[in-house]
This record gives sequence, C-alpha cells and structure tokens, in this order.
Amino acid sequence: MEAIERPQCVHATGLRKSYGATIALGGVDLDVGAGEVHALLGENGAGKSTLVKILSGIVRPDEGAMTLFGEAYSPQSIRDARRTGVATAFQELSLVPNLSVAQNLLLPRGVKNALGLNSRKRTIEAGAAILEAHGLGRIDPAARIADLPLADKQRIEITRAVNQNPKVLILDEPTASLAEVDWVFDLIRSASDRGTAVLHISHRLDEVRALCERATVLRNGLSVATVDLKGADNAAIFEMMVGHAAQGTSRRGASRSVGDVRLAVEGLSSARLSNVSFSLREGEILGVAALEGQGQSELFRVLAGAEQPTKGRILLNGQPRRFKDTGDALNQGGGVAFVPEERKTDGILPGMSARAHITLSVLDRLAKFLVLTSRAETETAHAAGTAVDFADRYQKFPINALSGGNQQKAILARALATGARTLVLLDPTRGVDVGTKETIYGAIRRFAETGGSVVLYSSELAELVQLSDRCLILYGGAVFDELEGDEIQEHVLVAGVTGHRHEHHPRQSYKEEATA
Amino acid sequence: MNTATQTADAAAATSPSRQRPPLRRILSNGAVIIGLVYLTLYGIYALNEPSALTVYSFSSLMNNAAPLALAAAGVTVVILSRGFDLSVAGVISLTNVLMAVHPMEGAAGGLTSLALCLVLGGAIGAINGILVSYVKLQSIASTLGVMIVCQGAALLILDAPGGYVSDWISYGLTDVALEVLPISGLILLLVACLWGLFLRTDLAVGIYAVGADENAALLSGVRVRRVRLAAYILAGALYGFAGYMLSAQTATGNPNAGEPFILLAFAAAAIGGTSFAGGQGGIVGSMIGAATLMLLQKVLFSAGVSSFYTGLFQGVILIAAILFSGMLTTISNKGRAQ
Repeated sequence: MEAIERPQCVHATGLRKSYGATIALGGVDLDVGAGEVHALLGENGAGKSTLVKILSGIVRPDEGAMTLFGEAYSPQSIRDARRTGVATAFQELSLVPNLSVAQNLLLPRGVKNALGLNSRKRTIEAGAAILEAHGLGRIDPAARIADLPLADKQRIEITRAVNQNPKVLILDEPTASLAEVDWVFDLIRSASDRGTAVLHISHRLDEVRALCERATVLRNGLSVATVDLKGADNAAIFEMMVGHAAQGTSRRGASRSVGDVRLAVEGLSSARLSNVSFSLREGEILGVAALEGQGQSELFRVLAGAEQPTKGRILLNGQPRRFKDTGDALNQGGGVAFVPEERKTDGILPGMSARAHITLSVLDRLAKFLVLTSRAETETAHAAGTAVDFADRYQKFPINALSGGNQQKAILARALATGARTLVLLDPTRGVDVGTKETIYGAIRRFAETGGSVVLYSSELAELVQLSDRCLILYGGAVFDELEGDEIQEHVLVAGVTGHRHEHHPRQSYKEEATA
Repeated sequence: MNTATQTADAAAATSPSRQRPPLRRILSNGAVIIGLVYLTLYGIYALNEPSALTVYSFSSLMNNAAPLALAAAGVTVVILSRGFDLSVAGVISLTNVLMAVHPMEGAAGGLTSLALCLVLGGAIGAINGILVSYVKLQSIASTLGVMIVCQGAALLILDAPGGYVSDWISYGLTDVALEVLPISGLILLLVACLWGLFLRTDLAVGIYAVGADENAALLSGVRVRRVRLAAYILAGALYGFAGYMLSAQTATGNPNAGEPFILLAFAAAAIGGTSFAGGQGGIVGSMIGAATLMLLQKVLFSAGVSSFYTGLFQGVILIAAILFSGMLTTISNKGRAQ
C-alpha cells in the first residue's frame, strides 16, 4: 500500500529500560504520524507496557530519545506528558473507585465556584457534558466509579484520555472488557480525523486490521519491525511476534509413559472461570497457555486449594475432593503442591533461611514430639535442594539475600520436599536467568519421569512448547483449545491465546527437523 | 457518532445506572451512625443523671472531649490517605509542656500560643510526611520514631508534671459563651465547618483518591507524594491544636500527657466510620466518636459502674461499631451487586 504522507508526530529511537538485571526494553524504535492509528503488537512481556509507561511519563528510559513534532520529548511525570499533549487510557484502568464519574473525568482538578472551592454541581455538569460529547449520556456523572460495571469503567477511562484532546492518544487494550467495539472505533477514528496520533495496543488482530495501517511488532523488548498491515497476513505477524529463533525450540526428546488419570476437574466456574474441565495423568506435564488475566491464576489457585470454585468439582484418583486450603491440598490423594506466581508477595518470608523455606510445608512430619530436630531439617532441605540444583552453601542464607533464580529454586524445592505427586506451577520461571530456567525444566521433567503430574502455566510460550505433553489454551476464563504432542508449537499458541483459531497440523519444518 | 449513540442506548436498556437508595446512603455514613449512638447514649445518661441536661454538664463533657476529638481528627486525615500516624502522642505532650513552661498571658498570648502549637504540630507533621512519602519509610515505624523523639524532647523541657497554663487559655477556653454554648464545643464545630470547606478543595479530593487507590490516583495526575505530605502536615497541626485544648483543660503540663491519646484516637476514628483501608470516612465522624468514648465514661459512672470497667466497655463499643459498619457495607454492596 502506498503510505499516506503525514507529518511525523511521535518519533522514538533506541529506547532502553532495565529493572535491575531484567531488561524490559532493549532497543525500541517507534514512528507514528499525525492522524495515524498505529498498532503495537507483541507477546506477554515483549515490552508493550514498559513502552506505554515511558511514553506516558510514568517511567524514564535509561537510554534513547523521543521527539514530539520534532521537539525533544522527555516527560518527567504523567502530568508533564499530559501538558505536552500525550494522554493514555491504561489497561489496568486508572480510575479512583471512591470518587464520582465526574470527579474522575476531571482529575486532578474539580470545577470551582466563585469562592475558588470545588462546586459539586458544576463538576457534575461538566462531567455530564463530557459524557454526552462522547456518546455516554446514559451514565450518571454522579455515580461512584466503584458502582459501575467493568465495561463502563473502561469506557470512562477511554473517554477521559480522549477528552484531554491530546496530540498523541495511547490506548492500551481499550476493548479488553467491551463486548462490542463500534463506540471505541468511532472515537478513535474521529480523534485520528482531528490529526491525533493514536497508538493502539490490542491482541485482537481483526480489530487492529480494521483500524490501523501500520503496526510495530515488539519481541523480547526489541522493536522487530514496523509492518504495513495490508501486506502481511496473520501467520506472518504471529511469526514476527514469536521470532524465528523460537521456531527451532526443541521439544522434549524422550516421551514418557503416561499412566492413569490422577487429577480431573469438571466444570470449574468462579468469578473469572467458566466451565473449565480437563484431566491430568500420572507422569504427564499439562501446559496452560494464556495471556495475562485470562483466569489462569484463579484456576491454579483453585487447584491448589487457595481459592474455592463457585461450581464444579476436583477429582483425585477418581475421588471427588474439596481442599479447605493449600495445607489441606498437600495432604489429600498423594498431595497437591503449589508454587505461586508472585514470588515477592506469596512465596517468600524475608529473613527466614532458605532451608526453613524448603522445609516449611513439611515441618509437622519432621518434628519429633513437637520438637524440630535440626538434622532432620537439614537432610530434608538437602535432598529437596539437590533435586533443583540448589547449592548447599545457600541453605543457611536468608532467602531475601538470594538471587531471584535461587529463590525460585528454593520455592520449587519446597514443593518437591512435600512429596506431593501433583505440582501446580504458576509461572515458575518468571524473572529468572536462563541457566536457572534450564535447571527448573530439568527438575520438572525428572519429577514427571518418576510418575509425578504437573500442571504448568508459563507466560513464555516457548517454555510450554518445550515442556508440555498436552497444552490447554485459556481465553476469557474458558478452555479455548487443547493441543497435544506435536501440535504444541509457538505460533499455534500465539494465535490461540489471542483468541484466533489456527489449524492444527504439525509444521513442516518441525517434521523435517525431527526426522533429520 | 450515530452508531455510538445507538449502542449506548442499547446498553442503557440493559444496564441502568445504579444509585444507592437514599436511606442506605445516609446509614452508610459513619458520622450519622455515630451521631445517633451519641444521642442515644446521652439519653441514657440523662435518665440516670438528671443534671446531665444542664449547661455545666454539657460544657464539661465538651471540654473533656475536645482534645481527643482533635487528636482523632488528625489521625483520621492520615488514615484517609492510607497511612498511620503514631506521632499524635508526641506532639500533644510536646505542645502541652511548652505551654506550661512558657505561658503567655492575655488574648494575644493565648492566640500566639495557638499559632505556635499549630506551627510546631505542622512542622512535626512535615517531618512525618517527608519520611513517609519522599524517603518511603513505612508510616507506622517512622511515625513511631518521631513520636519517641517528641516524647523525649518533652521530658527535656519539663521532666515532671508541673508548670501552669495561662489563665486566658485555661479559663477562657473552658468557659461558656452566651450562657449556653461551651467554647470548646464551638471550637469543635468550627473545625468541622472548616473541614467541610476543605472537602471542596482539590487537595481533599486527592487525599481520598490516594487513600483509595494510590496507583490510579497517580495515573490520574494526582501528585501523590505532595498530597501525602499535606495530609501529615494537616494532621500534625490538628495534634498541636489537641495539645492546646488539653492544656486548657488540665491547666498544667505533663511530659507524658499525650500517651493515652494514641489508642483512643484511633479507636475514635474507627468508631466514627473511617476505614483503615483508606479513602473512606471523615473527621466529623471521628470527633463524634471521640465524644462518644468520653461520654461513655460519664454514663458508666452515673450508672454506678466502677471506673475500672471503662476500658472494657470502650473496647466492646469499638468492636460493635466496626461489626455494624461492616454489616452495612455488605448490605449496601449486595444491593448494588445485582
């Protein structure tokens, strides 16, 4: 397609940002013209949200330069960005729940009366006018945000950004909670007609195609390419999101003998889950692929006894079970052990030694006459630590003094030390280095080889490709698809987690590699 | 925009905008509930003790309640911003000994003392605010430290109870205006009115916003750090005012004068319907809560209950109040969840 000549609006080159050892952005270039609707595509963790934060003035890049209409742009705060003409509707929604719709629309300032004090009446009138102007006249401007349904909150979040009348409008997953999208599309198109540069972040490719001419694809914190959407089919775009390096990801070589069904769930439902059913056999690794917030955390917490489902049941070895809490889950039907997602908040107790962490869940078994013997503790911790390659010299260290990788090993060791035959692993390699990842993969595989059952969620699809025997795809709290064996390939998973059907056929290239 | 309007209308049919019924809204206001409790308790008091309805009785109740009410108002401002401030005890002790050691006579002296108390309290609040919001220390730990420093400073200024507070303050502020209106009650009313005005500033909206969801407030353009700092400064000034009113009531200095206030101030805030989770409540409820705690002492005394039982009853009332407001919240949420 012939690109329409537009004055350049946003121009960013070489943006880099690291958080400690984690590189969030390793070099991102972005170019958006005035009046253009530009898509930003990428997997989980590709760096989209960091880029949004940098453009919105919430975080400062370590390196790189940005210009806005040719002038240097380096916002020091979100207010600064707003003043310069950049407004953002955030994915996680930035509305204050205890304030009214009108107050939120006008934050941080209310409308004043003659005495310079906020006027409730005028604030509500101003809010009503804003709502009316954006086709939301039915929403009561005096209602508290907390009392509104999620979809209306999202509409208000978007309206607030659009109402700044910005030169650059950033919409991060603006349609995530909206059943129908015409309203957003109209707003985006009219903003673009006014010459606003719109950066549209969405994982729904059909929406992106309907709105945008060009897309910038991010992968592992790098901007891989800016593509003309008319000239690229979905497969090509998924390919770019996944990367060519990932295509060669070797799948687990030895295939294990898989035994009887150990864990089965039937029709699990809760606030975030709808009718999830699957089964898990002895010696099997079941992967779960999903974008963030598709119900995987809830599902795993239910499996581990940390949350109760509103409907459905869990069967262990064919027996229906109810887990009162995670401790209860450890002691039923061979045991179900959980490795939670947020290491910092759910997984570790700062100040306690690594050894104490590893043995925490089995203290009652180690104690003789209620007294914990130091030898029993040391031996158990050593045995479990060895399984995950956790060096003995770290056993006495306070857990918070260890690197993220070693913390994660200790947490996995704790799950193994319980002797549970089922492991529920929620993103066990998040934020750890490559070497530790390999160690953790090894430990998971060995566990499965000895007949253990594993259900594993990972935000890195490549990991699921490497480890899973079967893979469920969750989308919107329901099982969207199930893949088995050679069907589990990254480009198929990317399509699935973003809600696109993909034909299940083993890829040619993979077959060739496998036979070679 | 045609499609947008149509879909909006369609959505309006399925999800009408929700408003809580007025009765529920009034009942879920902590100040109203505690106000009713206070009136009920006052009724019981009047039944036991006919003199309860005299001006003298009411005035003495107000004089007793004023320091705690102001202290509770101060901690409430910080709690609203989702913080915790223990320095209240230190500021009250410090301002109290300063007034007893350096009494300033006359109206001019009394007002100068007030200004000094407010400024000193505000300055200590600023230290709290900087530690919490800019240095990012935990609020309980850092305000505990500040409290201990203030207590220590109070002991340096006056090492044992003693000194005297100027007559204009100790007599004038505990007096009755126009035969029926206790001055201390009028002062509390004035503070409540000023709070009403303050609620209509962007700063007050910011405090509630930060308390409810700090991240959302930040992303909405609220200057979170500045708002926090302001909350601590305002709270400190209110503690200074509490110390001033305490001095008026006791007419003497005591380096440990502030200590009883820590727990009771937080209790008063909780009874008055302020949520410790932040962003919900207000100082009027806390002030009435404080008055209720003090009234309870009188009621128990008038009913012939030993004063040793006071703490026990105060605790029970506190728990009952929290249970009750929790129940109301659940009910009103159920009404909305449909």
